[in-house]
Amino acid sequence: MIERLARWWALAGGLLLFAIMAVTTLNIAAFSADQVAALWGGNVYGLTGYEDFVTLAIASCGLMFFPWCQAQRGHVVVDVFTNHLPRSVRHALDRVWLLVICALALFLAYWMVQGLVQVWNDDALTAILGWPVWPSFVPGIVSLLLWAVVAGHQAFEPSYGDGPRRV
Amino acid sequence: MGMVLAVFEREVIGLIGIGVLFLLLMLRMPVGLAMLTVGIGGNYFISLAMPAFKFLPFLKQFKTLLWGVVSNYELSVVPLFILMGLLASHARLSNDLFAGFNALIGRFRGGVAMAAIGACAGFGAVCGSSLATASTMGRVALPELARLNYSPRLATGTLAAGGTLGILIPPSVALVIYAVIVEASVVDMFQAAIVPGLLAVVFFVVTIAVLVRLKPEFAPQTANLAPAERRRALWRLVPVLGIFGIIILGLGLGLFTPTPAAAFGTMIILLYGLFLRFSGLGEGLSNEGLKNSFLDTAVTAGMIYFILFGAEVLKIFFARAGLPALLAEWTSGSGIEPWLILIAMLLLLIVLGCFMDSLAMILVVVPFLWPALVELNGGDYVTASSAVYGLSADDLKIWFGIIALVVVELGLITPPVGLNVFIIASIAKHVSMGDVFRGVMPFFGVELIRIGLLLAVPGLCLVLPYYLSG
Repeated sequence: MIERLARWWALAGGLLLFAIMAVTTLNIAAFSADQVAALWGGNVYGLTGYEDFVTLAIASCGLMFFPWCQAQRGHVVVDVFTNHLPRSVRHALDRVWLLVICALALFLAYWMVQGLVQVWNDDALTAILGWPVWPSFVPGIVSLLLWAVVAGHQAFEPSYGDGPRRV
Repeated sequence: MGMVLAVFEREVIGLIGIGVLFLLLMLRMPVGLAMLTVGIGGNYFISLAMPAFKFLPFLKQFKTLLWGVVSNYELSVVPLFILMGLLASHARLSNDLFAGFNALIGRFRGGVAMAAIGACAGFGAVCGSSLATASTMGRVALPELARLNYSPRLATGTLAAGGTLGILIPPSVALVIYAVIVEASVVDMFQAAIVPGLLAVVFFVVTIAVLVRLKPEFAPQTANLAPAERRRALWRLVPVLGIFGIIILGLGLGLFTPTPAAAFGTMIILLYGLFLRFSGLGEGLSNEGLKNSFLDTAVTAGMIYFILFGAEVLKIFFARAGLPALLAEWTSGSGIEPWLILIAMLLLLIVLGCFMDSLAMILVVVPFLWPALVELNGGDYVTASSAVYGLSADDLKIWFGIIALVVVELGLITPPVGLNVFIIASIAKHVSMGDVFRGVMPFFGVELIRIGLLLAVPGLCLVLPYYLSG
């Protein structure tokens, strides 16, 4: 259930990535059309504020990937030094680190809420489009909370699975 | 506690921090988490030892620090490049690439292995991960090489070595990350990578040519493909080569800026994959493949962003501890020959490459080595003629980045721990690990020659950025 939530959340982030691709393609098409139209003295306008849009979209989608990455145990670890230890010891270590990740995600979520309040109060806008910056903090905060839930759940999961990804 | 710690120099706290970082890494703590833990903890101890560095203002940076990392425009190419590689892989463009090259040059002696090198270079460039390239191309090319009675040693060695090609050839995630750390231009780095990257392809192909001349039994002469089959493979090669070629050369020559090129290239590969599927010309991109491409992008991009964020926090700690300055002081005051120090740094990268993920290594190590290198060279504003390495700081930045990545490539095929060799050995079940290592040794040899060449002739890296961006 938690894993499915993380999965949908990551796919939603993927949709944002796709939006960047689509906007870029439109822009390039408009630019090419403009070049062609210029032959007859015409104009085709591309979308302005491309960098603004990419910045806001990538800020959201980058963090939306975190819970799924955690659910897949995607964060790399160095395991050459612990491979010879018994399985139980390795798993105990992993569970400790999962709890630390859970705490860290909550810590980051707390500060990101503070950040949201700050950019809200400052009325921070993007440079060209003039869009408010604060909405791009919201998916980030949700992602961090979901990340904490996934890691916390993994720490107490009875069946352990394969463990984290090796480098 | 503050009183006790006050007797410590902040540099001592920094050095203890490095020790703790390695300890935590050895205890299986995820790389990004270890960097964050040491970064936050280290800043706390520094604030105890030096009241001037207060802890709360440091914590307040976390309001926007994480957002700042993920919203970085230059880094936005990272998830796009990852997605591009995964889509290309799920659409089986790797098969088309290998089959096409094979139809072109497979009939020459050793030609199928050379075709595998070409396909590795093209696919590796777009895919960006050497491990993924080795495993994808291994699955595609090894059965074909075995069917044609190529020596298993040559076949596996070729693929293990070929897998490393993609790290350097643009679009390269590692180069983007290096550029962001040392504040170089991504476009310059891409341009600089083209010549050394192609040099590796040429060297590997020549190595195969020489090997099969010395030992003809390594690569039996193969019969020509049936004309219809050959024509089909060549037709399938054209679009893939076109798409990959435009992406690689467009970025490498600096014709496109990275983010739009990455986004557009990814879209083209997605559309081509869907076209293959719906036109019935090939398997193309299934719904499952499409979904998994996005989900796997989330896993890899999430991992990279976490490490990048950890590196950012660690960097603040190291800077406050005065470590980069300390290292620069040590190296320039030591009286050791600067070239020896450079080579020692490269050896360090190889050794660490045995234990660490290559991206994590670049992120942890480069911020240290780079200031020391600049200091040795004669500072930020030194002119090429009076610099120790004969390069201005900007040129040194580009040159060192390229060489560092080539060394990371080498680490992937270095006995006894080269990761690419492990991957190929796990795919080729009938070939022993020892045989793969023996097979990879000739390539290892030419890699050493290439590093020597790049060290001796920095112009190989600098010529394209010089002419293309001035």
